[in-house]
Amino acid sequence: MKTFIDLFDLDSGKFNEAGLNFALTELFYVWILLLFVSPLALWFFWTSLKRIHSPFRKALLISLRAFTFFLLILILLQPELEFRKSHTLKNRIAILVDSTKSMSIKTFPSEQPRIDFVRQAFEKNQGVLESLSNIFQLDYYSISDQIETISSLGSARRYSPNKTNTDFEAVFSKLKTRYEGKSLQGVMLFTDGADLSIKSDNISSELKTLLTGGDGPIYSFQAGTNHMFKDLAIEEVDAADFGFIHQPVRLTVTIGASNMGNKNIPLVLKDGDAILLSHVLEIRERENRYSVELEFTPNVLGKHIYSLTVPLFAGESVDNNNRIDFQIKVIRDRIRILHLNGRPSWDSRFLREVLANHPKIDLLSFFILRTLDDDVVSPTSELSLIPFPTNLLFNDYLNSFDLVLFQNFSYKPFIDKGYLTNIKNFVENGGAFAMIGGELSFQEGGYAQTDIEEILPVDLGDEPQLFLDESFDLQLEKNQFSHPILQLEKESVANSIAWENMSKLNGINIGLKPRKDANTLAWFIKGRDKYPVLVSWRVGKGRSLIVATDSLWNWNFRQVGVGGSGRYYNRFWNNLINWLIDEPGTRLLKLETHKERYEEGEEVLLRVSVSHSNYNPYAEAKVLLTMKTRSGDMKLTTLKTNENGEASHRFTPVEEGFYTIKAKTGTDKLKLEEKTEFSVFSETAEFQKPRVNETLLKRIAEISGGNYEVLTKQTDFSKVSFKNPKIEIKTSSKLVPLWDNWWVYGLILSSLSLEWFTRRKSGLS
Amino acid sequence: MINLSKLIIGLLLFKVWVATADADYSNLFIPQIKYEGGHSMPYPTAIDSLLGQIERRTSIETNRGLTQIALSYPKLYRYPFIYMAGSRKFEEFSANDIKRLRNYLSYGGFLLIDDNSSGINSKFDISVRKMIEALFPQVPLKKISRDHSIFRSFYLINRVSGRKQVSPYLEGINIKGRTVLVYSANDLGGAWARDKLGQWTYDIVGGGNRQRQLAIRLGVNIVMYALTLDYKKDMVHLPIILERLKRNKLP
Repeated sequence: MKTFIDLFDLDSGKFNEAGLNFALTELFYVWILLLFVSPLALWFFWTSLKRIHSPFRKALLISLRAFTFFLLILILLQPELEFRKSHTLKNRIAILVDSTKSMSIKTFPSEQPRIDFVRQAFEKNQGVLESLSNIFQLDYYSISDQIETISSLGSARRYSPNKTNTDFEAVFSKLKTRYEGKSLQGVMLFTDGADLSIKSDNISSELKTLLTGGDGPIYSFQAGTNHMFKDLAIEEVDAADFGFIHQPVRLTVTIGASNMGNKNIPLVLKDGDAILLSHVLEIRERENRYSVELEFTPNVLGKHIYSLTVPLFAGESVDNNNRIDFQIKVIRDRIRILHLNGRPSWDSRFLREVLANHPKIDLLSFFILRTLDDDVVSPTSELSLIPFPTNLLFNDYLNSFDLVLFQNFSYKPFIDKGYLTNIKNFVENGGAFAMIGGELSFQEGGYAQTDIEEILPVDLGDEPQLFLDESFDLQLEKNQFSHPILQLEKESVANSIAWENMSKLNGINIGLKPRKDANTLAWFIKGRDKYPVLVSWRVGKGRSLIVATDSLWNWNFRQVGVGGSGRYYNRFWNNLINWLIDEPGTRLLKLETHKERYEEGEEVLLRVSVSHSNYNPYAEAKVLLTMKTRSGDMKLTTLKTNENGEASHRFTPVEEGFYTIKAKTGTDKLKLEEKTEFSVFSETAEFQKPRVNETLLKRIAEISGGNYEVLTKQTDFSKVSFKNPKIEIKTSSKLVPLWDNWWVYGLILSSLSLEWFTRRKSGLS
Repeated sequence: MINLSKLIIGLLLFKVWVATADADYSNLFIPQIKYEGGHSMPYPTAIDSLLGQIERRTSIETNRGLTQIALSYPKLYRYPFIYMAGSRKFEEFSANDIKRLRNYLSYGGFLLIDDNSSGINSKFDISVRKMIEALFPQVPLKKISRDHSIFRSFYLINRVSGRKQVSPYLEGINIKGRTVLVYSANDLGGAWARDKLGQWTYDIVGGGNRQRQLAIRLGVNIVMYALTLDYKKDMVHLPIILERLKRNKLP
């Protein structure tokens, strides 16, 4: 080879191979033509030599012509000599070692962690791996839901399982990307198979595609076994991130049980310390996995951290998978309003129209269409009237409403006095109540000295009061101007103008005295007398409000009559309802974090804002922040608000888990408390499915054409075999054309000249 | 001089209107529409009589009395329910009045039109249809179906009647799901009207007292609908109403 390379005046050190290349493909059709034309031309040429009698000359001439044709074909073929330097590459084998936390789980009876089976196998087969590395390139990786290169065999032996999530689909997808265009001839997989993303033992179609699409087999080596593995685990809680208040929330819980025997175990769902439900699950020896459907109804808005627990039994292999915490944000899907009207009136008609047309309101209206004194002049069967379902409304379903509205409604004789107590309890436990005026409201409705009076923001007094039929302008209380109910426009000046242009009202319930801690938002001022018209306050956990007139519809229909619109009437009622149902934006103390999920070590930002009861900012308010975790309660800090009533606090949680932050402060004799919740994650999910998944490992091996084996002291890696096709790569090359030179053209010319000379000599032209 | 006396009388009347309107503000009061030409108040006692029946039969509180107002009346929007009756051809409303009435109905008002002529295709009927076409050119006057809330807002009604049986149905205009105008051709006012002694002013043609009762019930239901809208279509009412409709073959 060296001599040959030297012949072309090239450096023999740079090349170790030579080859001949032809331009066959480019001239394919010419070639076809030549195959037919050349023999034909030679045949004609041969026939033209009939007159030559010398066989030698004939042979010489035909040879020269054939040689010429040969050279021409050679030129068309464009032969090139390629001198190249090439290397042979090793095929690759990927050795994947599971580095997730589940590999630290012990296998019984030896109580050996799963990781040790891998270490042990590597040590025993060190020689096999070394000899394998002489044939193949062995690439070591630690795997979880990622793949990370381990530099050497030693690293693989020393690795510690600390990753938080096993996901084979992610692993094989990343492996495929990494070996794109490279010759991966197989995989040796060392794992317990505890893949969290795989439900039951079925392989997803995506994983199946990845496994079948590889170049070589996968040998799966199972680390540890389930023999004598005792564990009760809450493997998974499948729940939506949010639920609706007063609507059932469904949970699908997967419980794993290994060697737990036959027993009944309780599943307990808690919100803080309160038990929401308890469910008994029958565990049977022959079954390892159970799916349980649970349902509960949240009654408090906001973010909640629920904990689901099963008992921890003696001898369990994993002791931190018997409880799982999860978060659900409870929101309001619809605002449920019970609207009772003492009689049909324009005020009730326009309010009903607002409520019924509101896209977020579920309205249940009742109008008292006839009283006991009315003579309908008809049998009941010809009336559309239905009995008033008192017990259903005020006993069975009262708590499913967000707001109860009494509009010009006298409870006698429709509601038993005892039900008024239910309404009081409903409000004190977080519900909302509003009484709208008219001749049948307040004292005239018989509410004095009843439980309803206790939840009203006004004192009804002892004497019956008349309904004053008088027209008046509503006077807003200046220091209540920031109250959310009064915000018809966002901008303060525009809001003032809007209120100034509101129509007059007619008729007012008098004799109402606002309670000390109530907020009187608007008055009818007549000389020295002031009559409250719009009064709000907080009762227990709920809110209540009164409107001491039945003429608010003036702000709708009559407003249109003077060139305005009913826009502000609608907005006023929206504001009023939002305040009553305690929408987060109407709270005096607001507490929030800037994220709902934090990673371990990430800083948490808490923001607080405090308002006076009239919604003006509360500067210099002291806000106590406390924190609740699984470990217990602790004081976080005390904040002082700035002139805007705002403050913030940053801190870094020390441990993973769910955190509840409570803020406490006081404003205008009101004790305010707010809470928010967030989670800090350092995944312990690996222990939710701690069992060795031998079915999965068998399937992986089977699909890819490899073998499955349980790692033992006798495990021998020499049983694995991979294809080893030769792979060469060129590092340098030089092309020497054999046709594009004077030698070839000279030979053609010489051949044709000699042929011409011979023909002349033989007497041919 | 004549004009001055008209003005004084007008001012006095206006004083009466204001007094009527402001007293018992929240109570139901139904003014009657005054128009040019024809006869805008054939039965002066009809509405008062109907209000009396409403007061007697239902929990609705009323302000009884007679008031006629023009569509241009500045305080029209104090009265979300207005009544228009007649038996003869009347002059077309001005464009301003039509616009005002259109706004009134579109933003919450209700108009009951009652043809007292007792004839098919009467001149009043022609005038009314012309007026309605000008009022809502895009929304045609349509028959009110029998499952409309008007027929179940208080009484369960399956027959439309009045002093005479001219048309077996009511017609109406719907705007955004609300019936804002109801037109009866059966002379409802004739069935409602009473004399000073409380006796029925006009005899019923055809059906006797039962027919009169049905006309009163229809009046009550129309008013009840204006005040409660589709309340009787709320799910809570449906089972009982449907059961009663099914069980009783109502007149």
